[in-house]
Amino acid sequence: MNLVRALRLAAGAELATLAVLLANLTTVHWPQVSSAVGPTHGCAYLFVVILTARRSRNPRTRAAALVPGIGGLLVLRRLAQAST
Amino acid sequence: MTKFLLSVHVIAAIVAIGPVTVAASMFPATARRALAGADAGRDLAVLRSLHRICRVYAAVGIVVPVFGFATASSLGVLGDAWLLVSIALTAVAAAVLALLVLPRQQRLLTAAADTGRPQPGTGGRAPARLAMYTGTFNLLWAVVTVLMIVRPGSTTGV
Repeated sequence: MNLVRALRLAAGAELATLAVLLANLTTVHWPQVSSAVGPTHGCAYLFVVILTARRSRNPRTRAAALVPGIGGLLVLRRLAQAST
Repeated sequence: MTKFLLSVHVIAAIVAIGPVTVAASMFPATARRALAGADAGRDLAVLRSLHRICRVYAAVGIVVPVFGFATASSLGVLGDAWLLVSIALTAVAAAVLALLVLPRQQRLLTAAADTGRPQPGTGGRAPARLAMYTGTFNLLWAVVTVLMIVRPGSTTGV
């Protein structure tokens, strides 16, 4: 698996897990969902940060990775812009 | 829920840290052979794979502390001394891996890829020094694992 594909996967997981967490918080609020999906979201977030640091030396791109939830998608957009 | 979190934590530790310790331990000896240049093509390919295993599984290893924290908070043991010591040792081990082992592997790999042009910091003792740092990393992990099992001062029993 190359770096960009892994980054795409992590970015999707980051946003999806955050959506699940917030939806759970505003509706049924099952503690099981929070404690299973919470760490998964944390891992996805850290994967995005580390993969971005390995892929790009640009400080703005690296900073974009730190944005919660949509950081991965921002990085992917910046990388796509940089390559065109 | 604690059981699920702990399972993920332990599986991640076995799957992610195991390959890193093995591949990192094999790296210095292979590097020495590749730099000696007897069967350089083959040794270089092995060296690349070993380095890749170390890098990729080191990244996968993030899962271990994340689910470790989740498990600890769900058990309510986040303030226990044995856990704080383990966290500190894990941080040191991660720093050794990311700041000492992986960059030195990269440097040796570049040196082995174009032999004849020796790079700074890849002299005759570079593989030995890398082996020392790798040993330190493995030792730290062994200590953390023992702490996780023995849990000195814990009342939950083994």
